Amino acid sequence: MILAVSLAISAIFGSGVYLLLQRDLLRVVVGIVLISNSAILFVIAAGLSRGDAPIHPLPKEGLLGAGTSDPLVQAMALTAIVISFSTAALLLGFVYRLDAAHRTVDVEDISESETREAEALEKEEEPEREQEPKHTAAEVELGEETR
Amino acid sequence: MTGFVGSLVLALAVGVPWALAAALSLCDGRKRWVGWAAVAGLGATLAALVRLAVLVVGGGQVEMTAGGWPEGVGITLRADALGATFALVSVGVIFASLLYEVLGGVRSRTFPALVLFMTAGLTGLFLTGDVFNFYVFFEVSMTAAYVLASYREQDHQVRAAFIFAVINLLGSVVFLIGVAALYHVTGSLDMAIIAERIDPVQPNSVIAIAAAIFVAFSLKLGLFPFHFWLPAVYVGSHPPVAAILSGALANIGSYGLLRFGGDLLPRELELGSAAVLILGSASIIYGALQAISRRDTAEVLAYSAIGQAGYVLVALGVGGPVGYAAAVLYAVVNSLNKGLLFLAAGLRGPLVGVAFAVGAFSVAGVPPAAGFLGKVALFESSLAAGTIPTSVSLIVLIFLGSALSFVYSFQIYQRRFWAPKPEDPGDRGKPSPVAPRVFVILLAALALGMGLWPEPLLSLSVAAANVLAGDP
Repeated sequence: MILAVSLAISAIFGSGVYLLLQRDLLRVVVGIVLISNSAILFVIAAGLSRGDAPIHPLPKEGLLGAGTSDPLVQAMALTAIVISFSTAALLLGFVYRLDAAHRTVDVEDISESETREAEALEKEEEPEREQEPKHTAAEVELGEETR
Repeated sequence: MTGFVGSLVLALAVGVPWALAAALSLCDGRKRWVGWAAVAGLGATLAALVRLAVLVVGGGQVEMTAGGWPEGVGITLRADALGATFALVSVGVIFASLLYEVLGGVRSRTFPALVLFMTAGLTGLFLTGDVFNFYVFFEVSMTAAYVLASYREQDHQVRAAFIFAVINLLGSVVFLIGVAALYHVTGSLDMAIIAERIDPVQPNSVIAIAAAIFVAFSLKLGLFPFHFWLPAVYVGSHPPVAAILSGALANIGSYGLLRFGGDLLPRELELGSAAVLILGSASIIYGALQAISRRDTAEVLAYSAIGQAGYVLVALGVGGPVGYAAAVLYAVVNSLNKGLLFLAAGLRGPLVGVAFAVGAFSVAGVPPAAGFLGKVALFESSLAAGTIPTSVSLIVLIFLGSALSFVYSFQIYQRRFWAPKPEDPGDRGKPSPVAPRVFVILLAALALGMGLWPEPLLSLSVAAANVLAGDP
């Protein structure tokens, strides 16, 4: 049982890390969700014991005997699930915001698009730089439309 | 009988920001009264924390079990000198930043509520006696920080906030695994009981847990090999937000390292002290060199933060009462400096240069600014470090680091206030409103005042170090 649980935790953690290193931001979010879930499994594994549900009218052995499973890890796991769920929602909010602005969720495309926007802003602000080759501005617009 | 007053101020310090944050998140933060209500609430929290600090330094720790549960069953709030010091300083920096923003005009409807949520998380974290509760409060303040980092919602800020959130969530998960492992080893979540029960355990089974916790807090603090997310976040962010992140949130890292390293796992800290010293030294040198090579003020300050975190780590690596006192003192002084510098860097016009210069003096450790105290404490702790070669190399390192920080502090001062380049956007346009400018001058006066009358700060840090060293 211990081996099975630890293998499951490491497999989930490993796939989470793999996804975290991708360029696609949605995959990064999924990676974080997987990693948090592996931590939650670890929390449960920290107090893994078989027994009755720890609900109030306890069997005679009480909390001290082997009759009841550890309630504390379950409470911790629940709290951790709520936290990881809410942070995942927040991260998805950030991704949505970036997608709305750039029409892409790929890190490199986003930074390219940011550079282009910054260049376009500079052109607007400083008209004296107009003598630079004009086709760059056209390219910027073309690039925006094809997206 | 300090029992009742103690529990009352403890409950107030944790409860007031919670209740107010929940209420104000329903209101529009751009209205003036909402901002001032938040300032008033934070002021009340700060007053409660001052009372608490006085109580704790005078009469040992204050304890309270939440919800009227019997002791050992309910979640314990426990204030000792270490927690009270960090809570006081962090809430002080947040209070200053919020006041600065309210004086200048809040531009986001959620800003006051988020700042209060972060305060609630931070006070809870510094004043809790339960490791899982620590994790929960830590997530509350970090979540508020992720949203604050994207304040004003510029695209590059949202992207920086995303990176910040992902990296720090990874750190939180590693910390959660450490907490679960501590529970597995000791069968308790209460810090005092863990510290007791971890003692007879073989260190080789705990060293992995200690390493996980160390990595988690180093990520928060932005130490050398874990620093890569830090400059991107600070450069994009709004000055008060940068001041809060650097002056208050980074304290989680210093406090966590001190609490878990010095209090819960002292033997493992001693075993790993060589690694801690080396990482700290690498942080100092790397941060200072990078800071010298940067031009943008926010970027210089971000790299400087990496270097300053290294000093805290070096003092922690030295250990013992002297080392812990130096670490606490340096962390406190550093968060004040960073708060002042980031706030002053966001303004322009007369008087701002003076405030910035005081902050820069303080970072470089020139008397009479508060930073001098931190540097003196560091020199003292390196003299106390075991062997003579270690002491000598630490003194050389700290001297070198201070010289480098002197160079970069005055480079940015010179660039911003002496020879402003026309393309520097910081010096274009009209000066900032008078109120925030007067306010940063007051902050600078406070930094100078602490250097001139260091007694309260010194006694707080010594009391905090005594908590860690074990004698009350």
